Amino acid sequence: MSAINTIAFKPALCDGCGECMTACSTVKSVNGSAAQSRIQIIADPLKGSWELALCRQCGDPRCVADCPAAALSKEANGGLISWDAEKCVNCLLCTAGCVYAGIAFSADEGRVVKCDQCGGDPQCVKACPTQALTYLTSASIYNRWGDLEDLFVPGLGGCQGCNTEIVMRHTLRRVGSNTVLATPPGCIPGMGSVGYNGMAGTKVPVFHPLLTNTASMLTGIRRQFKRKGRNVTAMALAGDGGAGDVGFQSLSGAAERGEEILFVCVDNEGYMNTGAQRSGSTPYGAWTATTPLGTEAHGKVQDSKNMPLLMMWHRCAYVATASTAFMEDLYEKLEKALAASDHGFAYLHIYSPCTSGWRFPSGNNIEVARKAVETNFAILWEYQPDQGLRLSRPIDKPLPVVEYLKLLGKFKHLDAAQIQHIENHVAEQTKLFSELAGIGKGVERLAAAAPLSAGHERSSVSERLTR
Amino acid sequence: MSAVLKPKNKVLVCDGNEAAAWGVVLSRPDMVAGYPITPQSSLVEYLAQFIADGVLDAEMVEAEGEHSVLSVLQGAALAGGRTYTASCGQGLAFMFEPYFRTPNLRLPIVMSIVTRDGISPQCVWGGQQDAMTVREVGWIQMFCETVQEVLDTTVMAYKIAENHSVMLPVNVNHDGNYLSNGIVRIELPDQDEVDQYLGDKDVNWHVALDPQRPMAVDPLTGGSAGTGPALFTRYRQGQCEGMQNSLGVIVEAHKEWAQRFGRSFAPLIEEYRLEDADYAIITIGSMAGAGKDVVDAARNRGERVGLIKIKTMRPFPIDAMAAALNKVRAVGVVDRSVCFGWNSGPVFQETLAAMYYARERIPCLSMIGGLAGADLTEVHFERAVRETAKLLAGPCPRQPIWLNAQD
Amino acid sequence: MERYDYLVVGASHAGLEAVRAIRAHDATGSIAMLNRDPVLPYSPTVLPYVVSGRSKEDRVALRDHPWFESLQTAYLERTQVSAVDAAKAVVRCADGKEIGYGKLLLATGAKPIIPPVSGLDGVPYHVLRTLDDALALRNAMGTAKHAVVLGAGLVGMHAAENLAKGKCQVTVVEMRDQVLPGYFDAEAAAMISAAFTGNGVEMLTKHRVTSVAKQGQQCVVKLENGEQRIADLLLVATGVTPEVDFLKGALDIERGIIVDEFMRTRVANVWAAGDVVQTRSFFGDGTPAGGILPDAVEQGRTAGMDMAGDPGVTPYPGGIPLNTYNFFGNRALSVGRDLPANAGTEWEVLRRNSAASASEPARYLKIVLRDNCLQGIFGVNVLFDPGIMWELILRRTNLSELRQQLLDHPQDTARAVMSGIWR
Repeated sequence: MSAINTIAFKPALCDGCGECMTACSTVKSVNGSAAQSRIQIIADPLKGSWELALCRQCGDPRCVADCPAAALSKEANGGLISWDAEKCVNCLLCTAGCVYAGIAFSADEGRVVKCDQCGGDPQCVKACPTQALTYLTSASIYNRWGDLEDLFVPGLGGCQGCNTEIVMRHTLRRVGSNTVLATPPGCIPGMGSVGYNGMAGTKVPVFHPLLTNTASMLTGIRRQFKRKGRNVTAMALAGDGGAGDVGFQSLSGAAERGEEILFVCVDNEGYMNTGAQRSGSTPYGAWTATTPLGTEAHGKVQDSKNMPLLMMWHRCAYVATASTAFMEDLYEKLEKALAASDHGFAYLHIYSPCTSGWRFPSGNNIEVARKAVETNFAILWEYQPDQGLRLSRPIDKPLPVVEYLKLLGKFKHLDAAQIQHIENHVAEQTKLFSELAGIGKGVERLAAAAPLSAGHERSSVSERLTR
Repeated sequence: MSAVLKPKNKVLVCDGNEAAAWGVVLSRPDMVAGYPITPQSSLVEYLAQFIADGVLDAEMVEAEGEHSVLSVLQGAALAGGRTYTASCGQGLAFMFEPYFRTPNLRLPIVMSIVTRDGISPQCVWGGQQDAMTVREVGWIQMFCETVQEVLDTTVMAYKIAENHSVMLPVNVNHDGNYLSNGIVRIELPDQDEVDQYLGDKDVNWHVALDPQRPMAVDPLTGGSAGTGPALFTRYRQGQCEGMQNSLGVIVEAHKEWAQRFGRSFAPLIEEYRLEDADYAIITIGSMAGAGKDVVDAARNRGERVGLIKIKTMRPFPIDAMAAALNKVRAVGVVDRSVCFGWNSGPVFQETLAAMYYARERIPCLSMIGGLAGADLTEVHFERAVRETAKLLAGPCPRQPIWLNAQD
Repeated sequence: MERYDYLVVGASHAGLEAVRAIRAHDATGSIAMLNRDPVLPYSPTVLPYVVSGRSKEDRVALRDHPWFESLQTAYLERTQVSAVDAAKAVVRCADGKEIGYGKLLLATGAKPIIPPVSGLDGVPYHVLRTLDDALALRNAMGTAKHAVVLGAGLVGMHAAENLAKGKCQVTVVEMRDQVLPGYFDAEAAAMISAAFTGNGVEMLTKHRVTSVAKQGQQCVVKLENGEQRIADLLLVATGVTPEVDFLKGALDIERGIIVDEFMRTRVANVWAAGDVVQTRSFFGDGTPAGGILPDAVEQGRTAGMDMAGDPGVTPYPGGIPLNTYNFFGNRALSVGRDLPANAGTEWEVLRRNSAASASEPARYLKIVLRDNCLQGIFGVNVLFDPGIMWELILRRTNLSELRQQLLDHPQDTARAVMSGIWR
């Protein structure tokens, strides 16, 4: 069964303007009447809120089950529920099966009508001036990769709502079984990914490296297999502390040597497995167990170091930042990172909000991840040596940083000066990345600023020698 | 570094570092990793050049530090590779975290320690403080006396490490400066013979990181549930069994070496002129040469003195040592490092422990010399013999004698 | 002997939904669906449209072979079950073959009731339950000039309309006092009946047929009041009864197979769903229940989930009457129950209607509330979403503040309420 892209509705953003219904009826109805629109926005008579009637393209559609004439079917490819005019007997039993008013009788057209998502280009979404309607195409990820085997065991012991588990399962299933997986100490093996007492936690060869030597052990593994003519993916799922603090030397060394490794850093901004202590990635102002609050202290007093940027300056084959709130982007980058790890060092830095250590409700994880990006607190970008740095999303109209900060218990105590500090830092980072991406400075890309490769130097020297 | 020799015949003139490098070449490792440190540096340089010249077909990883050096080799070994590195002193100290884990993973990695003293005070010179400090971590440790023994032991180390009843890493230790840089004539074994001696590589039959044989390496153990503590205990017990098994394997490896190549070395303990000795001095490493000369001279004077040399320090050959001690009435132990907790040298401490299994408790004196590159000459050993002889009649001092304190 | 972990007898809505639900939870258990007929599954509900020609008989299959293949389900045609041996966990087929099962679902549906009318077995008459019935009726309609339809249920009413449109003189005879009893309230039924009368159909409610007799190629239908009608087409559409003859004491049967709220019969490892069961009313009263397509689907899903051990299964809430009915260009919708005869003060009825005009058809809407919760809604030419109304009844949603809005704008009001509930 394939998943279906979704027209999502945020009632809070809707002002009931009706542009969506006008757009729909213009292209779909016989007479252009908004009453025939396949999407209906309705005012709740008591609460005054704006409500939605629209086909959800259900996974187990009752309208299809209730149709006696086989006129409705769920398409195997794409997952739309399609309607066959020739078979329909207009009995309206489908409308008895739907609790979303997603299929309803149109008096003007004399038949049932429903949304067909305009063949993947829904006009209602285009017409919406407030972004209350958005077209979520993340289902394409499921359709493309949904059949891949989840290579972790079920029931990993992560905290409720753990974002890191999402990262783990999504990345490894895509990377596949011809992989040796390193999970240095931290939440990732802590939740059982290597296993307990002789039982394995994944279906691929997996091990705890030391917190400090992940990239080095993978170096030996990758090179040994390559020597034997086997192309085995050497992959790390590492936390930010192991990657960026105590393990940074080995990471830097492997990156500098251009080892063929796929290194995924899952950044939860601290040592969350051991009880939420400060790391180099912990942001300014944040409460942690080792940057506590007291009469003399108010959280961390330094800004985080920008690990992915440091990795970029190693001129890795691929460096990118990603977020589980933007899965298509994450998959695209995973794809590129995996390809790059075939010939060089690929570093993928994924922001991973931690429900336990950051102090927010476990249901909010993706929302926190999304707000981090939408406020430019976490900037999504990618770097390839021949193309320089590219921003994955526009960063010119961010939400106010406090929209992100207020979601998290670890920032609850911030005073005005601390918030100002963070805002300044985010603004500075935003400006830096704009410049690195060549925006507003007349510079095409970062490529010009990137250090020359050894290859460049060698060829220029040999040119001089031959002249 | 000097130009690499490509001997057409089986004889060359080289120092201990190059001899070790030739031992590595003959052992055909898959991967070599290194990071420079005095006095080991030239050893890695030789290997890099051998690879550059096509003499050695191996992956070379010039890691960013010793910690990574050994980590890289752990990865390669888990993927089925035969591996080699060398380090010493501060490098070994920095390597300690993966070093500590290597025997626990039962990885048959071979590593030379070109022994060096530890700072501070700052020094870059030889001494066995590095190797002795890590003697309780689980590596097999063998100390060489000569440059030839360095080469031969390096090859033998693979046979010992990869023996299925052992599966433990091996340190082949040679003294910084005195062996690493001392140039002598040595004989190079024939490659085909070495190939036959070592046999097929079979490095990760017991633990592997290989998609064709997926397994979890080092799942968490411990805790009160399931097989936790028992599992861990069985691992440790097995590791100790492997260590004990290696004693016999070391002896066999040396015996076969002597048969194939015509050179024999005492595998565990060498007894030198001990048969009718009243007393003996105990040595380890290259100092034994000077010690033997002094013993010969003393014999010529009619003194009934012998020498006991330790080659295999870990596992400690308790029975061999006890048997040697049974032949004398007093011993003086010359250490090239310090056992701080006992106010002595570490070999002294080991000797005392082994003596429990000897017939009787005999006087035993600790002498410490050769630190930080200091030479242990015949003058020093004459004193050592003299001081040991005193034990036959007089009291046994509790303080160590510092042989180079006045040099 | 063939054996399946899940054996589904009967191939219509309940059985198909059960197969889907089983496979959704159990990826590997073997499943087979048995159909006594040599065709792919179809719905009895589509048959009136086959009769009218709206549906082509070769395009009514609810599922195709690739669907069964995709669910790794064996679809066995021409396999009629003649007995169930629960002790041995086998079904015996008409041809003597035995098929073993781990879990059995009986979804054999219903068959027409043949009323005890004198002489009926001596005359040619039609019923409408199978595709063959539909084709026979369609052929007969081509030449019929006079037709008598026994029963004013959905089958009879559809047929009457089709016959009338084919310029046939039609008489509908219904024992009870209104058309579509049990589904529509008296007022809606009267509007429907009036539309038929206006289109030349003779509607005889509260009439009983006493006998029929052959007369040449025709037959004579005698009524209780002494009148008679001549018919060259006689359609018996007086309802259906569960298809349970083959069970012969193997199960507890009253008006249908007795099942619990998870569609389990009283015999281990045997479930039943759809028209074959005795459906409990959601309202817990004498409101007619069962025989409704969405109910069959719901029951099939409940049975399938329970059979597969799906922890998400919830008890079947009981049947709620529902009808969507088009007649002569009008649309009648009904969900739920009408005001009972002995209704107390907790009951409330909201009503509006408007007469037909030159441009507008007659409209009617009645909403029945009890303790401010929706009990029933009946409309003619007033649109609302039956699925949402059904859900509001099931959820016992309090609508006290929305009574007037619901009456004025039933569709938008209910949609807004339901949308708010979902989020």
